[in-house]
Amino acid sequence: MVFRLVELKARLTWNGFRHDRQRRIGLPVAAILLGWLGLWLAQAHYRNIILLQQSDPAALPHYLAWTALIAFIVWVTLPVIIFPLDENLDPQQLATLPLTPNQLVAGLAASSLVAPSTIVPLALLAANAVAIGGAWWVSIPASLVFLALLAVGGQLFSATVSAVLRTRRGRDIATFLILGLAAGSFFAYRVVSDTVAELGLAGAVTSTPITGWWALLPPVAVQKAIFDASTGHVGSSLLALASASAGLIILAMTWRRLLGWLLSTPVQQSKPAARARRGGMTIGPWGVVPTMARKELRFYIRDPRQRLVWTGTVIFVGLAIGGAVMNATGFFDLRDRAWAPLIAPILVLFVGLPIALNLFGWERNAASYLFVLPPKPHQILLGKNLAVAGGLAVETTVLTLGLAFFTSQWTWVWLVVPLTVAAIGCQLAVGNLVSVLTPLRLPREGTDVFAQSTEQGCLAIVSQTVSFFAIGLLLVPPAAVVVLTVDFGQALAPWVAVVAAIVWGSVLYGVSLFVSSRLLRRRIPEVLNWVQVV
Amino acid sequence: MTQPLIDDASTDTHGTLPAVWAKGLVRRFGKTVAVDHVDLSIKPGEFYGLLGQNGAGKTTTIKTIVGLLRPDEGTVGIGQFDTWRNPTEVKSRIGVLPEEFNLYERLTGAELLDFTAAMHGLDREEAARRRNELLDLLDLLEAGSKMVGDYSRGMRKKIALGAAIIHRPPVLFLDEPFEGVDAVSARLIRRLLQQAAQGGTTIVFSSHEMHLVEKLCTRIGIMVAGKLTVEETPDGLCQRMGVDNVEDAFIAAVGGRTPDSSWYSGS
Repeated sequence: MVFRLVELKARLTWNGFRHDRQRRIGLPVAAILLGWLGLWLAQAHYRNIILLQQSDPAALPHYLAWTALIAFIVWVTLPVIIFPLDENLDPQQLATLPLTPNQLVAGLAASSLVAPSTIVPLALLAANAVAIGGAWWVSIPASLVFLALLAVGGQLFSATVSAVLRTRRGRDIATFLILGLAAGSFFAYRVVSDTVAELGLAGAVTSTPITGWWALLPPVAVQKAIFDASTGHVGSSLLALASASAGLIILAMTWRRLLGWLLSTPVQQSKPAARARRGGMTIGPWGVVPTMARKELRFYIRDPRQRLVWTGTVIFVGLAIGGAVMNATGFFDLRDRAWAPLIAPILVLFVGLPIALNLFGWERNAASYLFVLPPKPHQILLGKNLAVAGGLAVETTVLTLGLAFFTSQWTWVWLVVPLTVAAIGCQLAVGNLVSVLTPLRLPREGTDVFAQSTEQGCLAIVSQTVSFFAIGLLLVPPAAVVVLTVDFGQALAPWVAVVAAIVWGSVLYGVSLFVSSRLLRRRIPEVLNWVQVV
Repeated sequence: MTQPLIDDASTDTHGTLPAVWAKGLVRRFGKTVAVDHVDLSIKPGEFYGLLGQNGAGKTTTIKTIVGLLRPDEGTVGIGQFDTWRNPTEVKSRIGVLPEEFNLYERLTGAELLDFTAAMHGLDREEAARRRNELLDLLDLLEAGSKMVGDYSRGMRKKIALGAAIIHRPPVLFLDEPFEGVDAVSARLIRRLLQQAAQGGTTIVFSSHEMHLVEKLCTRIGIMVAGKLTVEETPDGLCQRMGVDNVEDAFIAAVGGRTPDSSWYSGS
């Protein structure tokens, strides 16, 4: 039965690849990118192991323990911090089949590994086993246990977050949960890289070894099993493998229990009427474009996923900048830089990107409602852009004032305005085109924040990465003009920077709006087909 | 209500143009021909029932006419306007009752009506007035400040109908308006549609509820495997098929059969 679910996942993936043009492009590109990432990490891991074997063998077990733990944590949390991009089997649909809970859990875990992203742990585990060497009869089952830990751990973590989000209070704290994870991962990265830079790899891992009960953590125990087998300590190796397997069973049982609860507990509805206006939308700005913008703004607040994008990203970036200002993250000291507040508009590259690049994806099935209404495509785009620009402007203002306050650099703060126009113009220019040309399907409205669409492909990551770099490139000219105004001997007059930045952003946006509107008029059926959730 | 439910009851005041039309409409999905050379001409003021088995091509035909699916061949339109050449003109003259899960779930019922009114260019005061009237008419006054996502199925159908008619369109497209709706809501929707039809609105109606089709429709078109095979009045259809009700006539027209009931017993 487990094999049947794996087969089902493979069949869904293959069918999607055959019938969906987006995925015919996205899947191979994602596989190549992930393959490259996997090989890069694997060779670095292999080199580190060999290096430690030769230079500091005593540090090797500690290095192995840390890498296993970090790989496990990253694998488990990453799909929650960034949106999950792989399709997964929907337990709700499988719940009506005559499957035992154990079969369901095992099937879902195994099928979750039928994805291009599995290339990365496979490459790492292969490099790990080959570099450590020793007994294959331990390293192969231990690697399989580790792979199972990744699958079960990832599913358990996602299910836990979903369970939290089932309740009203849980949805309220979701933002902070994700924020904590995102900020925590950033600071953990800084701590690790700073410690390694200061003490060297061997020094860093031996200065904080994973010992005592912590060594029983399943991913750590797997590495201990492989390492001990390679050094001839068969007894302790088998004990570690048994400990890892026991940990895997405990995780799987916890997940099974949680899954049972999730499948039998309905999602709590939002508070009726409490937060909504009785007067509808007739109070405030009126007309096609303003009403479209207000509809978007309401969804930014009411849709947990969009709320997460707006609040989570800006606070995360704020934390990073705060760290840089305090010189606590090891980047550079911003306190003596006159241009410090001017960083804020560049942050629009990070903030709101998932919304600006997928204007119609967020409509989900309601896109078919929107597209039978008479507004012209440019009015629809203008309304949506107005909302995004409003959100970005507010967030840029907050960040600018924060940076200026913490650095006491107020001289060039006013230049933020033209730079913001340019930055928002660039982002919306790219966003409109990408939204019309490659809209992405999102989970159905009203489901859990992290519920995955069964039709989502890998194009998301490709499209968003390319767009991100395109926006970055388009921002180079206005950023350069501003930099020449405030630095490099103030080579340009400020008014030149102001005019250049505003004209650049406005022209790019205007051209993009013109082209995107024409494209949208022709492509409504295609856009609709891509964003609707079956 | 101080004004008629529907304005501009006909798109063609002289009655020379059909209110809804399709000429040689073809729509394929891969190798499947979902709509196969359909010619449709619905007169202003008609209550037209578009019937067919699941997958017969009804929804595809409606989606093509309202501008959500591009035809592979042929043309479709409303009155003097071709849907794909004049999309804005067409969309401002139609009201569409979508599937209930295609609404904006995170708007309240009142907000959904206001949003729709604004998109149709109604002014603020008129929008507010019509919203309040419709919420009252549809028995949704209390629920008007609740999110659409929290509505029951019947409430969703009602608010969707309200949104479809808030701009008083001359042509209404209704895809399964009674599906999953309780008897009380169904009666309310039915009365509202009858009132609209009496006011001269052209209604294109797709449903599997044959007793309602018989009660409401002035003409019926039956689609079989993408082709429009029959167009008749309800009485004419019954006479043609030699039966005494629309359900039997429909089953006869689509070639339906009674299943062999021995399957369950395994004999």
